[in-house]
Amino acid sequence: MLKILACLVIISAGGICGMLVARSYSLRPVELRSLKSALQMLETEITYASTPLAEALGLVAARTDYRLAPLFEETRKELLSMSGCTAREAWEKALLKFYPRSSLIGCDISILRSLGGALGISDSSDQSKHLRLAREQIEAELEKAEISAQQHVKLWNYLGFLGGLVISLIFY
Amino acid sequence: MSRLVHSLENCRVTIKPSPWQEVIPVLPAGIRGIISGLSLNILERLEEIRLRQNKPLILGLPDGDIFLDINGKPAVTPRDCYLVTADDIQRVTQLISGCSLYAFGEELKNGFITLPGGHRVGLTGKTLLENGRVRTLKYISGLNIRISREVKGAASPLLPFIIDQRSGNIFNTLIFSPPRCGKTTMLRDIIRQLSNGIPELNFKGVVIGVVDERSELAGCFQGVPQREVGIRTDVLDGCRKAEGMFMLLRSMAPRVIATDEIGTDEDFAALEGVFNAGVKVLTTVHAASLTELNQRPALRNLLNMKVIERFVLLSRSKNIGTVEEIIDGRTMLPLSGKEAKHA
Repeated sequence: MLKILACLVIISAGGICGMLVARSYSLRPVELRSLKSALQMLETEITYASTPLAEALGLVAARTDYRLAPLFEETRKELLSMSGCTAREAWEKALLKFYPRSSLIGCDISILRSLGGALGISDSSDQSKHLRLAREQIEAELEKAEISAQQHVKLWNYLGFLGGLVISLIFY
Repeated sequence: MSRLVHSLENCRVTIKPSPWQEVIPVLPAGIRGIISGLSLNILERLEEIRLRQNKPLILGLPDGDIFLDINGKPAVTPRDCYLVTADDIQRVTQLISGCSLYAFGEELKNGFITLPGGHRVGLTGKTLLENGRVRTLKYISGLNIRISREVKGAASPLLPFIIDQRSGNIFNTLIFSPPRCGKTTMLRDIIRQLSNGIPELNFKGVVIGVVDERSELAGCFQGVPQREVGIRTDVLDGCRKAEGMFMLLRSMAPRVIATDEIGTDEDFAALEGVFNAGVKVLTTVHAASLTELNQRPALRNLLNMKVIERFVLLSRSKNIGTVEEIIDGRTMLPLSGKEAKHA
């Protein structure tokens, strides 16, 4: 009886691990899609309304996906604190906090990092070019992420349970 | 005791920061530390902070410039001075614009950005031209942070000369001086007093329209004046003077229109329109003497029209905002205190 219970625990644990990995694959395209539209909103605020960066980031944070909102909100707070840091530094700080909690991977973060270096330091047409470039790069990553999600989500869902089953059979 | 605590809890005490405290947040941490460590006596008299790339940090005081070393102590030799770095300049440029340079296109074209509170930051660097006109500033390498101060009562000695006490009207007044002699401060106090009313002169307040193109007079933040400009004052912030004067004329029915630093032909043409609309004008212009005023063609026209009734020359001879001379615009002769009483 105890052995059966232990097997069930191992299979469930394996299943949960697999589902978690699968979830990160399925969430990445969702976050990238939201990020793309958030950057579109930011571009509109900057180029058409000339909204100051802190205010624009606040507006984007209020309208965007709750998973991405902290990135914009943290940057806004840092800018408003008038601690003497530049937009790049505020963005970088917010990214460091945001990264561990998101499903984005290194190459997505490096796109955001290079965007941060250009935020607020030039005229609106230049800002627009930087934001468009970031969106195009995210679009390319999104395509890759969708293909990767199709390949990996089912795989990891099954792999988790099957892995658990194999381990429990070995030790049974 | 408990009643006292209760009443204190209900009080809202707003402590207004000193002018230098308003500009400190736009400085990078290093320079902020150097300046914050200075004695209050210096900080309260601070007029300018000049930053030039690879050059010493210079603080402008009424009695001259001071150079500081890295510890905030007065530098004895040029070698001891704190040298402003390219990073300092870039940081200040970002901080004065709230990291939003794109929102300051017009200001960059004009070579300055105004901070909340009306402090003006002048910028120099490489200008980019388009059709022969400045499109923007690039490679910013020099900044001059000019600290604006409110001096309540600064205009009191002047007011008897610019109010016609028989009719209760205001005289069309032009304040002129070289830069840094307190024209804006003087104009702001005139506006405040005329708007609130002056019981000592038996003068009831009048509606004043202010066109504050550079946000220096009223120091507006999101459209709301941060400086005291009086209870009957309407401020059009960040608006071109020529356009703003007509907008106020049409919409707010002011008795007096005030604007700072007129200079372009367009401004003078707009002023003519205001004079013909029966509204009084208070304005300032850069010039060290009447002769200099006469040498500028657009101003010469204005002088020939004989519409300016009072010319006020300011200087720094005793302190900032010293009234050197008040000239009657009709006779072009200096006025004395006696004439003020009979004005």
